[in-house]
Amino acid sequence: MEGGHQAASVSYRDVTKRYPGQDDPAVQHLSLEVDAGEICVLVGPSGCGKTTALRMVNQTVGITEGDILIGGTSVRDRDPAELRREMGYVIQQIGLFPHRTVAQNIETVPRLLGWDRARARQRADELLDLIGLEQGLRDRFPSQLSGGQQQRVGVARALAADPPVMLMDEPFGAIDPIARERLQNEFLRLQAEIRKTVLFVTHDIDEAIKMGDRIAILKKGGHLAQFATPAELLMAPADDFVEDFVGADRALKRLALMRVRDIDLWQAPLAFVGQSTAEVKAKLDGAEVPHVLLIDSDRRPLGWLSDSDLRAELVPQTPDSGPEPILDLDDVMRDALADLLQSETQYAPVTDRDGKIAGVLSVEIISEFLVSPEAKVEEHAAIERPVERPLSE
Amino acid sequence: MTATVAQLAPVVGQVTIHNRTGANAPCQAQEGKVFCFQWAIDNFDRYTTPLLNQLLLVLIAVSIGFAVAFAFAVLSHRQRWLIPTFTGATGVLYTIPSLAFIFLLLPITGLGWTTAIIVLSVYTLQIIYRNIVAGLSNVPMESKDAGRGMGMTDRQLLWRVELPLALPEIIAGLRIATVSTVAISTLMVFANVNTLGQPLYQQIDFKTNIVIAGGLSILMAILLDVLLLLSQRLLAPWRRASMEARV
Repeated sequence: MEGGHQAASVSYRDVTKRYPGQDDPAVQHLSLEVDAGEICVLVGPSGCGKTTALRMVNQTVGITEGDILIGGTSVRDRDPAELRREMGYVIQQIGLFPHRTVAQNIETVPRLLGWDRARARQRADELLDLIGLEQGLRDRFPSQLSGGQQQRVGVARALAADPPVMLMDEPFGAIDPIARERLQNEFLRLQAEIRKTVLFVTHDIDEAIKMGDRIAILKKGGHLAQFATPAELLMAPADDFVEDFVGADRALKRLALMRVRDIDLWQAPLAFVGQSTAEVKAKLDGAEVPHVLLIDSDRRPLGWLSDSDLRAELVPQTPDSGPEPILDLDDVMRDALADLLQSETQYAPVTDRDGKIAGVLSVEIISEFLVSPEAKVEEHAAIERPVERPLSE
Repeated sequence: MTATVAQLAPVVGQVTIHNRTGANAPCQAQEGKVFCFQWAIDNFDRYTTPLLNQLLLVLIAVSIGFAVAFAFAVLSHRQRWLIPTFTGATGVLYTIPSLAFIFLLLPITGLGWTTAIIVLSVYTLQIIYRNIVAGLSNVPMESKDAGRGMGMTDRQLLWRVELPLALPEIIAGLRIATVSTVAISTLMVFANVNTLGQPLYQQIDFKTNIVIAGGLSILMAILLDVLLLLSQRLLAPWRRASMEARV
């Protein structure tokens, strides 16, 4: 990639926007400090001014009062066209140019900045790789791509000149739910690599929780209701509005922010094939998990021993019930809970990256965790993105 | 109509009346026939000059009409209140009967090419202007939003996004304007330009003549129409791609 621009901070300083002919301001006295390299999600019901707030950053909507600083420089002093070329811009309707090929679309801003054709072309190829689009699509027209591919091109086009700030206005709003999930994950993975300052508008609180390092919840009229990390928002909503907006299922949403390794797992009594059952039964007294887990010589779970299994003298090779579902320490807690509920088992063995047994998870552990007061403290330390990071190979 | 032609006698009278007897005598006997082949072959050269004149006249008139309409359209694209004004004005001009238009211009530009070009160009304005305006306003909002949001100036947006996307409609307008200009240009014989109207009006009772002069005019219209259609395919390849994608 090019040398690239350092991500820049974005700060709203007491910003107000009044549209002509409207009594109430669309955005009122908004102050926000978005740190360089973080994703700040602006979320709220329709009419809350979130899109207006976003568009004032690149001056596609003018500021009535107050100021917005990018890396310490006011946007009001800048030539709008020049300012916009320094910011990635992704919109819900994607807005690819139908008359330009994929590559030409991506090259838009570099060409506006006066790059020569060869350099712009090379950059487009890099970006196609970065967003995982095959080079064969480079000379297609947008109408020949699927919705998901179009939106990827939209993101690539926004990244073309390696801007310090990205503005994304409901970028995945028009995509079907399955593709949206994939695009969200891809974008988070990309962001882990490129570390842009991203302002992201959505009306979907789940998307906000998933995408945001911090979330600004806006009320009607552009009042900032709360500006906090997703976990803070879920644990301590500032007022009734936020609590309502975040939803009654916020306990479940918190699980989406955690991984299995973030919780204290229970331990089951372990047994090896051929071990004497008397020895194993002794371990059952006072064990956290009242069932014996059979493991192989590499400590991989083989299954659960039933009472009839334990009636024999030695531990049998094939237990009555298999180990499924087997969870991973890196699984997102919400998915782990879903697996548990779906397979109708009470306990599930959890393994580490090598498949070795690390503990046992149960529905009980999760519900206890959610009500215990120390959970909040732990959770604070444990906030991590609920996406699979690319393995560092 | 006959009265009009009679009044125009001084104009038409300047044209040499060709002799239909002699070489094409066999044709005389078959006057009732629709088309006399032998006569057509023997006399084809008398249509070359009118044909070339008419083609040149059409090309000049449509080019001038396009240039003027384009300037109006771009101007009113930024100042949208001008659109009804221009549409109304070109609409009124479009209603003037061509013969009346020629006579109106007689005191100013006299007879000849200038008058013919003015009349024909003015007639193209309405169609071309409306199509350019329609094409520009049909450009998807999101393309304009994206273009502006990425830092295009108004001028860059116009030339790099709006006009290319309006191109199919602009060319559609040019096609209609060109075909109708070819038809009206035959009338420019009354402005004393030797178009295919010349042989047409000169021997209006000779069917073979009518078929050749009329046929050449029709062929010209079709040929120019096809050329414009091909240029659209060439200049807007994305259009076909999106049509196919929609199937």
